[in-house]
Amino acid sequence: MAAHAHAEHHEHHGPPAPHYSSRVPPGVLGMFLFIGTEIMLFGSFFTAYFFVRVVNGTPWPTPPFHLPVFVAFVNTCILVTSSFTMHWALQSIKRGNVWGLRAGLLLTFLMGLTFLVTQGREYSRVGFAPKDGGFATIFYCLTGLHGAHVFVGLSILLFMTIRAFRGHFSAEHHHGVEIGGIYWHFVDVMWIVVYLTVYIL
Amino acid sequence: MRRGSVAWLLVIGVVAGGIAAAVALALPWLPTPASREAGRIDFVIWFVIVICIVIFSIVAAALVYSIVAFRARPDDLEDGPPIHGHTGLEIVWTIIPTVLVTAIAIVSAIVLSRDDALGKNVLHVDVTAQQFAWSFTYPDAKGLTSGTLMLPKGRSVQLVLHSKDVIHSFWVPQFGQKEDTVPGLTTTLHITPDRLGTFPVICTELCGLGHSVMRTQAVVMTPAAFAKWLKQQTAAISSPNPSVSGAAVFKNNGCGACHTLTAAGTSGKVGPDLDKLPAYAAEAKQPLESFVQESIVSPNAYIQPGYPKGVMPQTFGSSLSKPQLDALVQYLVSSSKKG
Amino acid sequence: MTAVTADHQIAPPRRGNARRLLLGAGWIRAAWMFCLFGAFGFGLVVVFRWWGGWHPIIDMTVVTLVSLLVAAPIGFLAGIGAFDYWAYYALGFPTRPEDHSGHGARSWKDYFRVNTDHKVIGVQYVVTTFSFFIVGGMLALILRAELARPGMQFVDTQTFNGLFSVHAALMIFLFVVPGFAGLANFVVPLMLGAGDMAFPRLNALSFWLLPIAGIMMLSSFLVPGGAFACGWTGYVPLCSTHQPLGAIFFNQGVQWAGASSIMTALNFLVTIITMRAPGMTFWRMPLLVWANFTTSLLVVVATPFIAGSQFFSMFDHVMHTAFFDPNNGGYPLGYQHIFWFYSHPAVYIMMLPGFGIMSEVISVFSRKPIFGYRLMALSLMAIVVLGFSVWAHHMFVSGMASWLRVPMMITTLLIAVPTGIKVFSWLATLWEGKLHFRTPMLFALGFLSMFVIGGLSGVMLGSVPIDIHMSDTYFIVAHIHYVLFGGSVFTIFAGIYYWFPKMTGRMYNERLGKLHFWLTFVGFNLTFFPMHILGTEGMPRRVADYAPKFADLNMFISIASFGLGASTLVFLYNMITSWRSGEPAPSNPWRAMTLEWQVSSPPPIFNFDEIPQVVGSPYGYGTPGAQHAILAPARTGTPEEVRVT
Ligand code: HEA
Ligand code: HEA
Ligand code: HEC
Ligand code: CUA
Ligand SMILES: [Cu+2]
Repeated sequence: MAAHAHAEHHEHHGPPAPHYSSRVPPGVLGMFLFIGTEIMLFGSFFTAYFFVRVVNGTPWPTPPFHLPVFVAFVNTCILVTSSFTMHWALQSIKRGNVWGLRAGLLLTFLMGLTFLVTQGREYSRVGFAPKDGGFATIFYCLTGLHGAHVFVGLSILLFMTIRAFRGHFSAEHHHGVEIGGIYWHFVDVMWIVVYLTVYIL
Repeated sequence: MRRGSVAWLLVIGVVAGGIAAAVALALPWLPTPASREAGRIDFVIWFVIVICIVIFSIVAAALVYSIVAFRARPDDLEDGPPIHGHTGLEIVWTIIPTVLVTAIAIVSAIVLSRDDALGKNVLHVDVTAQQFAWSFTYPDAKGLTSGTLMLPKGRSVQLVLHSKDVIHSFWVPQFGQKEDTVPGLTTTLHITPDRLGTFPVICTELCGLGHSVMRTQAVVMTPAAFAKWLKQQTAAISSPNPSVSGAAVFKNNGCGACHTLTAAGTSGKVGPDLDKLPAYAAEAKQPLESFVQESIVSPNAYIQPGYPKGVMPQTFGSSLSKPQLDALVQYLVSSSKKG
Repeated sequence: MTAVTADHQIAPPRRGNARRLLLGAGWIRAAWMFCLFGAFGFGLVVVFRWWGGWHPIIDMTVVTLVSLLVAAPIGFLAGIGAFDYWAYYALGFPTRPEDHSGHGARSWKDYFRVNTDHKVIGVQYVVTTFSFFIVGGMLALILRAELARPGMQFVDTQTFNGLFSVHAALMIFLFVVPGFAGLANFVVPLMLGAGDMAFPRLNALSFWLLPIAGIMMLSSFLVPGGAFACGWTGYVPLCSTHQPLGAIFFNQGVQWAGASSIMTALNFLVTIITMRAPGMTFWRMPLLVWANFTTSLLVVVATPFIAGSQFFSMFDHVMHTAFFDPNNGGYPLGYQHIFWFYSHPAVYIMMLPGFGIMSEVISVFSRKPIFGYRLMALSLMAIVVLGFSVWAHHMFVSGMASWLRVPMMITTLLIAVPTGIKVFSWLATLWEGKLHFRTPMLFALGFLSMFVIGGLSGVMLGSVPIDIHMSDTYFIVAHIHYVLFGGSVFTIFAGIYYWFPKMTGRMYNERLGKLHFWLTFVGFNLTFFPMHILGTEGMPRRVADYAPKFADLNMFISIASFGLGASTLVFLYNMITSWRSGEPAPSNPWRAMTLEWQVSSPPPIFNFDEIPQVVGSPYGYGTPGAQHAILAPARTGTPEEVRVT
């Protein structure tokens, strides 16, 4: 059967070299699209926020509850700074500076961790539970959703750091760092939105 | 276009359209309207059906004709003509549908606004839905409550819809109008009954186990009869020392929708036949009175074999006052002993 | 069964000692990791609740959710080997260069392991989703049996509600949506002239999420209290606070299915954007590729919303949050807005890929270029854009802000225009063509007529006053099935018949195929057309019991539906026997121009010797010498030569 011979012929060389029809590398494009869906996911949560707060006119924060705006602000600063260290890490490896990469990733990771822990402390002290009315629900679910994303971001950072210390990245090969970085920046920006809508407004 | 094809298209189109129209007209599609709104809605339906039939026959004609005329012999390996498109045509079949749907939109919008416009001297009725029963309250008549919806002919009625638990939906096919009852919101529905008769009230939003049995009746009566009915009912509740009559409680809480009780002249089949209560009580090995009491307050305590659990509303224990409940129980005991 | 891709020796032998059997990726590891992770989830719940001082410490609902519905499935995936490569990467091991051992299928066994070959995954998808179609159909038949006569005969109300809910959930989330993804998985890379999808491992993962979702939804029949019974729309507060445990099986099942379709969509988008063969401009892509491109856009943007809606509903159920609980500051209608913002686009997710298949089939079997190619592609885009602005047409009677109704009506009706463009262009493609009525073509024409009926009933519903009367009646049920069965399912059948030779390397039995079509076509109309009448006359949907006056029609429908069901047996018989022992298929039995037909059937393991050069339209029929692409001369050597090299 012709088909068979035709097929067998390929055993002797691998797949054809892929042809890329776009300047954007697949990984990066994929990450951006993924962030698109993430934004929509947050969008659905903000829709719930809209219905509870605007349509239902829930007082914000509903007395007697109040939010630790200042602590959260400090937290915000930490997270924003971590974005810069992330950027620094990427720049260094682009210049082939492995130690810059390692230090940058480590710092970013630690700051992210600090953020998450502070968030956890806030939960245990804020004095209301998710079931205590619309305000509490939205507060926990928006910050919680974001927290989950920080957790994912941290895991990615962890993997990056491990690989960085095992010396897998170089000036030529640092896609991992680049893509992970994009995600981390997204997590950051998203937090600013959450902070503004939930704490400030 | 080959010669004659146009003629053929016309023929097939007319035939297809004819068949479709025949089907549409022959079938018992729509219930005979019993409200002005339903009348208008029927008009829109027919307006759109006509457009749809036209379009369907165009498609059918082109399809059938091509199937017949352009069928290729299996051994015919030739290709068709390399026609890649025709801007004129494409514009045509973009414009025409746009026009048609715009027409539909305009007609619908007009009818919608007419249907929602309240007439003068509006009768307000509070409709309360709960799993799985309807009750109707007449605020203008001292909060008189009834298990069946009584309406005067020719008067514009505004139903104010409430729900105690989940989302239900109020629908009377002959009235055409439909609206959900949403817990925490009050929604409204406007009806102008214009035909005497008794029509089914149907819950059309899935609301749980009893969804399919959440039915009662809407009765359209002459204004005179309606006034008379109101007077009687209000008299009952507004008398100085309201003697709570079990019969009234039974009637007003929609028991009859699900239960047969000769004394009350109801013939519901969803729940057990309440004429047979003594026998049931015996089966359950409980004294009749306490049995009835329990069955109403906590229906799931004892489930009558062969009947669904969790369908009988669980709320009567709280919604009925103590005297009402006692009266109801007494009423059931006595009338079931009789019947 | 013959394998999808011809034999090759690269993969290491998968026979091994006990240790490898236990620790090597596969079903055994999947089994114990499933249990392990389940236990871990359980422990997590206990520890946290004890630490947080919640009581009771062991709450069945929470435990079920965390341990059974979330942790355990992840364990299964890890065990079956979906994460192996990433785990290596994450832990900083040097990533092994792809040895292609994950590629191709030599025996039926290779379909039951994590496989990164898009052709294998495509077949895995199609077979899996089709089995869910059969299960969902069986449920529907039980449903019909119950509805044959008024009153309750076979099942109680809880089961009945469960039946149509699971029926719909399976049909939508596990048959139509992933079914299309499966066909596209097989075809799109070939059509693009690519060696595989952009992310083969992600592709494999997104397949393995499906069985999890499906089994989760089905198993809700087994949990105490019965299956989730709030319809596939899962309206709150019924589904959030008035339902047994089963409800969260739906909430969570949807999450898995949704995750799967998002991953596939991302994969398609990236593949289509970055991996087109040289010369394959967007305006040279086959319309099937266009269709999946637009569909993927819909998925990527819309699906997160159903994820959101199910999260909220589930949290209300499990954690007693207040999203939709009016007594606690929630807003019940919010659910419907969020849900339909996904689920209306979802109905186009369930139709656009079908449109793509239709364009291929119709143009090939009428031997003519697709009529108005560019407008066809643009109307797809138009449907995507409009599709996001019509969700509230499912809520005309929901009590939402009444000013929303007219704008939504207008956009809803406007969607008829781009859809109409497609319908008319297909008709124009048939016109003066040389029609060959092979089975795929029959289903294509069946689709054309049935979908127009379904679409027109949709337009009726689009008009607010009509919808106020028709909403939540059997008229809706009729609409659903005319668009979903007469539309989507017919196109899926067409697609399966059309690519069967390419997938299996064998021809299906034409006579059985035609028989299947006619049985289905007739049975379908007998089953679903009468539902229009039931609805307008006043029979609501989702009822286990109905007024006696509807008895005759319902009996008729039920009988017809069993005929319809039986027709599927013909299809199954045809597929199985042909796959086993059908006559070998030539590489291009339909004389089509798109790329997948220019390679052997089944395609070689890496699709192409060298990436082809695209030079023209994929629909150049009728133009002598027209070419879509130039392939590297296939050096088909005789077996001897091969042995020598
Ligand atoms: C494949 C899936 C699919 C598709 C393609 C469609 C297509 C359409 N649907 Fe449908 N729909 C569903 C699946 C689908 N639907 C489902 C599953 C539900 C029920 C959900 C539930 O369970 O509640 C539903 C419910 C539903 C409703 C809500 C009913 C209710 O619950 O009250 C409405 C109301 O507007 C509607 C409208 C439409 C319209 C206008 C189209 C249009 O896209 C149709 C466009 C096509 C045509 C019009 C035909 C071809 C066009 C021409 C030949 C041109 C000329 C035509 C004219 C000028 C009119 N659909
Ligand atoms: C792609 C989508 C799809 C498909 C293909 C189907 C297929 C079928 N559907 Fe379904 N249906 C929906 C999507 C779909 N449905 C949706 C979205 C709803 C709304 C649910 C809700 O309200 O929430 C619905 C609701 C729905 C209802 C209304 C329930 C209610 O509101 O009370 C009914 C009732 O008749 C029904 C019937 C059927 C039947 C008879 C088939 C048949 O076509 C099935 C035929 C297929 C088979 C039978 C399987 C193959 C058979 C075999 C392998 C052989 C075995 C056969 C025999 C032994 C005879 N469906
Ligand atoms: C939605 C339908 C429905 C409504 C409304 C309803 N019932 Fe019932 N009822 C049932 C069903 C179903 C049963 C059988 C299941 C059970 O025993 O709980 C039942 C059982 C009973 C029983 C016990 C009979 C037995 O043999 O167990 C009594 C007494 C009763 N109902 C009285 C009433 C009264 C009084 C009302 C009105 C205040 C009422 N019901 C309203 C459906 C209904
Ligand atoms: Cu109430 Cu359905
Ligand atoms: Cu829709």
